[in-house]
This record gives sequence, structure tokens and C-alpha cells, in this order.
Amino acid sequence: MTPAIAVSGLVKTYGRTRALDGLDLTVAAGEVHGFLGPNGAGKSTTIRVLLGLIRATSGSARLLGGDPWADAVTLHRRLAYVPGDVELWPNLTGGEAIDLLGRLRGGLDPKRRQALIERFELDPRKKARTYSKGNRQKVALVAALSADVELLILDEPTSGLDPLMEAVFQRVVAEAKAAGHTILLSSHILAQVERLADRITIIRDGKAVESGTLAELRHLTRTTIEASTARPVTGLDGLPGVHRPTTADGTVRFSVDAQHLDTAVRHLAQFGVRSLVSHPPTLEELMLRHYGNGAAA
Amino acid sequence: MTVTVSRTRGRTGSRAAGGRLTGTGAMIRLALRRDRIKLPLWVLAITALIPRFYGAATTVVAPTPEARLEATLMIQGSFMKVLAGPVFGDPAGTSQQYFLLAYWVEFLLAAALMTILLVTRHTRAEEQTGRAELVRAAAVGRHAQLTAALVLALIGNAALALCSAAAAIAVGFPIGGALLFGASLAAAGLVFGALTAVTAQVTEHSRGAAGLAGVALAVAWILRGAGALQSPEGGPLFWLSPLGWSQQTRVLADERWWPLGLPVLAAGLLVAAAYALAERRDLGASLVAPRPGRASAAPWVRSPFALALRLQQAAIGWWAAAFLAVGLILGAMTGGMLTTDLPIFSAGADLGRAWIGLMVFTGSLYTAVFAVLSVLRLRTEEVRGRSGPVLAGPTGRVTWFGASLLVTVLAVVVLLAVYGAGLGVGAAVSTGDPAYVGEVTRACLIRAPEVLVLLAVPAALLGLAPRLLGLAWAALAYCGFVTVLGTYAGLPDWVPNTSALSHLPWTPLGTFTPVATVVLTALAAILTALGLYGLRRRDLATG
Repeated sequence: MTPAIAVSGLVKTYGRTRALDGLDLTVAAGEVHGFLGPNGAGKSTTIRVLLGLIRATSGSARLLGGDPWADAVTLHRRLAYVPGDVELWPNLTGGEAIDLLGRLRGGLDPKRRQALIERFELDPRKKARTYSKGNRQKVALVAALSADVELLILDEPTSGLDPLMEAVFQRVVAEAKAAGHTILLSSHILAQVERLADRITIIRDGKAVESGTLAELRHLTRTTIEASTARPVTGLDGLPGVHRPTTADGTVRFSVDAQHLDTAVRHLAQFGVRSLVSHPPTLEELMLRHYGNGAAA
Repeated sequence: MTVTVSRTRGRTGSRAAGGRLTGTGAMIRLALRRDRIKLPLWVLAITALIPRFYGAATTVVAPTPEARLEATLMIQGSFMKVLAGPVFGDPAGTSQQYFLLAYWVEFLLAAALMTILLVTRHTRAEEQTGRAELVRAAAVGRHAQLTAALVLALIGNAALALCSAAAAIAVGFPIGGALLFGASLAAAGLVFGALTAVTAQVTEHSRGAAGLAGVALAVAWILRGAGALQSPEGGPLFWLSPLGWSQQTRVLADERWWPLGLPVLAAGLLVAAAYALAERRDLGASLVAPRPGRASAAPWVRSPFALALRLQQAAIGWWAAAFLAVGLILGAMTGGMLTTDLPIFSAGADLGRAWIGLMVFTGSLYTAVFAVLSVLRLRTEEVRGRSGPVLAGPTGRVTWFGASLLVTVLAVVVLLAVYGAGLGVGAAVSTGDPAYVGEVTRACLIRAPEVLVLLAVPAALLGLAPRLLGLAWAALAYCGFVTVLGTYAGLPDWVPNTSALSHLPWTPLGTFTPVATVVLTALAAILTALGLYGLRRRDLATG
């Protein structure tokens, strides 16, 4: 089966700046693909190339089996896009904008439109100039998700949404995945992508630095544990998958690979746990830990 | 061009193959919907001015055939030719002919301005905000938005042509002449609309695109005026100006349609160029690449005043450059004036200085346009939420807005000095009389108080009635209008006296009138104070 997105050796330069520097990205049909990278890594540039909005300097990009630049219009009937920063026409209502964006693509499902508006708690009769950033974002999400398309390209789609709406978004995307849509989900938050994605590509400075399934990238999802215990913790060093344990003021801190989490927590329990905090790594931490900062690897 | 226009069928969407123009129909409907108020308002406002100006021309300025002949001869024989005219056919013509003589150019400018703003609004402004990205990610062809903007320009100008023809018929034009008059307005609009389609490809921001087209419009206006001086019915320079093309239809004289072929041809070439440029570039990109700016703020930017100056420095710089250029060009015409055989312009006066006096006044008007724009910018800052972060800091409203207004005031003085210096140097070079330089610069600076009053009008509105800020333009237009009419056409004294621009004499060049200066400055100060007082009391607009 042809991959939904196949990008290889993609380069885009703006004068002396290299926004993309030989990027590779493959998204199989039917999968949710997490596209991760810190701000300025080239995620949006890649998406703009895929949408035929800008032309790559070199390298190849195929989208749904077609050429994103030459076949832009035909391809766009089969995809929907949500940018991270939605601007709308100030004197049109949100509902008008949804319909308009849907119709430009070839129509949308009125039932799904209505259902999504309710789930996202959007008032479609307000003029777009009165919307907050989050509400403008909802307009683009409703327009994209109520279209019957093969591919959804979502570029940091939940920026500006509150946590409740973020949860609605997660459910809606999970449903779209179940219905067989291919989804490219760009984000700089690992946790968001982790929950939804089948496979992940991490980019930095315009290049893909990691790509694979979540299991393959398990080493990236190291959990950080912070615990204070009744008695000083000993013997952590010997445990498998435990990294860099430190102790200060009766609090122990270490990170542990996901598959060894159980062992580590059982070990801690012997010393009388008073408080326990665990948190997943942020993408920024990962980037620093695995790829260094620029040349300093 | 061999592109297939696909008719997008509204709700169901088009199944046509992916052409560059796919979705144009839907984009046109979107554009019409967005402009449902703005565009009709423009067309109706321009149309409504026809009977209004005609009324002014026939009842106040030149009510009798004798007065008409006198006014026509005065325009024909003076520098007023730069602003009005030309006189085609019999100088003792009908009142309809006199209306054209006096105001045609203004209507051409209005049509051009309407179309420049319209095209910018639907092209570069869409890209700049990112809405174009959202639209183009749908099944919309690469050229659909540009095409929709141009079609809307066509619709708007066609409506303007028909409405203004109807208005012209209403004031007594024969049908043929009225239609030609309407078409002449639409032709000017379309040339500048097509030109804007090109500038929208070249600059990164919509303001730049509109500004560049505005500069071209100013150049066309100057060429038209210079061409009118060359020969009574328009010399070679006249034919270089799109405004001149429209006027060469000679409405109500020996009427002819063929000069409108020139604007059609020019618009066609410009549109082709716009498409060629659009084809080559990335969405959102511009041919004039934005240069990287400073990584950190300059050390001097550390006060509200310095911030206001920093925000406006580029604009002030461009205005100053344009003022210098325009001043030099207009000044350089002075030498030619001395040799022209002009019967009237304050009999016995020094013709060169009389010309300069008129140009100094014109400079004062231009500066007032800058001042109003500069104050309106503050409202944009507020509405877009950019004032919020400043006011959330330890900066009070009066300090912030006051600092910005102070920058505008200082810029007004600088611009008048730059314009005066340009005008003076141009005049000195062309006449060989170096005394012009100092004299003209001083003459320009003396006019600052009247500009300050026109600056204070939007300042007052900003505080007291921000929704009515547009009235600042009306005040400016009113003052310019009645002052020019009052000077040349003998309105009853009290009418021009209501204008802020009527109280500082043009001749003899550089006359200083202490009383008027003090009164105007005080008026400006009072209006500004009222504005700041209002600002302290009202709600600020939020994002």
C-alpha cells in the first residue's frame, strides 16, 4: 500500500537559513503519526511543503500518491488541515467560517458538524472577531474533523484549548483513527502525541533524529520519579533500567525506563514511601538528553 | 491563458480536476460576503459626492455663466491646472463641464484608492494573517484568491461606473457623456487595482502593498499635473499618467472612448505580471525579502516615548524620503513657471513665489494626512491588544498615548522641514536664486499649527468617541476643500473661515501671523487635552 506521506531528503532554504535539512518522514495509510520537535525545528515548514503552499528547494515529497505542489487542489479534496494559529475573517461568524472551509473542500457532514460544535462547546453564531484564540482553534477543528477525508494534517492543533477541550480533542482524534483516517499530528508536547500515535518521528534542526513505533522508542519515555521515604533508600544503583539516582534532604530522585517502572516502585516501597511524584519527560528534556544542544552531543 | 475555470457548486463542491483557479467561484462569494458593507459604502459615498460637488460648483462657486467663465479662465491661466482641469472645448461651457473641470481628478483618485484598498484586503492581507493558508489547504487553486480579488475589483468598479453615470445623469449630463464619465472612473480604478495585484506579490505586508500602490498613484497625480502645465489639453507627461488617460476621453467636449483602451491594456499587462509573480513564489513569501532585524533593543529604547518613536521610525523615514523627493520635483518646476505666460495669480506678484506658496500649502495638506494616519495607528495598537502589555506595566494611559502623540507632533515638524528643504532646494536650483532654500523651509514650518489642529481632531476622537475616528478624514477633506475653494472661487468669507487651513496666509511667502498661530496652537492643545481626558475615562478595547 502506498504510504500516505513519503518525504525523503527534503531541503528548504530561505537565503542562508536551512529550515529543512534533508528531512525523511514516512506516514503509512491508516496510522496516527506523531510529528514531534521543539519550536523552530521545521514541523510547520514540512507541513507547508506537504500542502503545496511552499516549494521545496530539493528532495522529494509525495502525498497520498501525488505531487503536493503540482496536484495541490486534487489532493486537498482528500485532506483537511488545522494550523496551530487560526485566523478567521473578522466579520463572518464562526459557523459561516466552518461551512465555508468545508465547502471549499467539497462539503462536510452536517450531522458531524453539529455534533462537534456541541462537543467543543462552540457558539457558531458569534462573529469571529469576538472569538478568543481557543475558539478560533475550535472553528478550524470542527471544519476539519467534520469533513470526510482520508488524511488529517494537524499542526499543534490544540494550542489555546483548555484541558477539558484538549480531552475532547483526544477522544475525537481517537474516533477518527478508529474510523480509518490517517492522521499527521504535529506537536511539541510528547505526552499528547504518546497517547494517540502509532508511530512517532522526532525532528530537530530540519532533520529527523528518531523515527519508529512507541515500543521502539520506549527508551525515550523514561519516567522521572521523586520520592521521600521514611528511611534512606539504598540499592537503587543495582536495579535494571534505573538512571542517575540522587538523594537530597531525604528525597530520592531518579529516572527509570518504562518497562522497569514496576520493579523500581516495589523497591521504593520497602523504605516507607511518604510522597511520590512521577512525571513523563518533556520533549525538551529528551532533546537535551539524547541529542545535546547543537554540536555538543 | 489556458486554465480551466471550474464552477464550484457551492455546497457539494466541485469535482473538476485540480486547476489553478479551482474554487474561484467560492472565493468570489466569500469576498462579496466579507465586503457586503464596505464595498457598497465606498461606491455610494463616491457616487453621493457627485451631486454634492455639482451643487457646490453651481450654486456657490460659479452660479452664473459669467462666474463660470471667470473661474475657468483662472484655472486655465494659473497653477490651478495642476489640481484641476484640463479645459476641453469652450471655456464658457455648461455647469456640468465646469463640474468636470473642477472635480474630475478627485473622483479618479477616489476610484483608484477604493480599488487599491480592495485588492490589498483580499490578497496580501489574507496571506499576512494566515487565512490564505487555511483556505489554500482546502481544494482551492493557487490563483483562486488573486482572481477573486480581481473579479471583485471588476464588480466594484462596474458598480461605481453605473452608479456614478446615474448620478451624472441626475445632475444633467447627457446619457452618453454620463456613461463615459462612469467608465473613466472605473478605468482608473482598474489600472490601480491591477497595479496593486503586482505590489501585493512584491511586499510582505498589506500596508506595504497598499503604500507602494499609493506612491504610484501620487506619481500619476504629479505626472498629470505636470502634463497639464505642458499644454492646455495635456502634454506628453499627461499621457504617461493613468489619470490622464481617463481624462483624455474628454467627456462633454469632443468625447471619445478610445483612450480607455490604454488603461485596459495596462491593466491586462499588470495582471499578467501579477499571475507570473504569484506562480513563482511561496505562499506568504515576498520578492522583497524581509531582512533580519536586531537581536536586542537599542539602548535608547527605554521609555514610552522611545518605544513610540521606535514603532514609527520606519514609517516616518519613508514619509520623509517621499516628501523630500516630491518637494524636489515640485520645487524644480519653479523655473518653468517664470517663463510661462500666466495672466493671473495675484497680479504683479512674483510668479515663482506664488507657485511655491501653493506648493507649501499642498505640503501642509500631505503632512496632515501623515498626522491623521499616525494617530489612527494608535487605535489599531489598542484594538489589536498591543497597548495592553504596555499599559499593564508601570505606564499610564496618558503617558503612553501622550508619548505617541508627541512622536507624531515631532514627526510633523520634521516632515514639514524636510518637504520645505526639498522644495526650496528644487526652486533654488531651477531659478538660480539660493534665497529660496531658507525662505521656503521657514514658510513650511510656519504652517505647522494648522497641521497640529488636524492632528488633534483624531486625538480628541480617540479619547472621546473612538468609533467615530473616521471623521478625522472627513475633517481633513472638509478643510482642504473649503480652503481651496475659498481661495480660488470667492466663497462667502465665513465658509472658508471654518477651516483650520484658512488662517495662515499663503502669500507673501513666509508671512508670520502671531495671532492665528497662537489661536490654532491653543485649539490643537485643547483638543488633544480633551482626547487624553476621554482616554482616562473610557474602557480600552480588548483583543
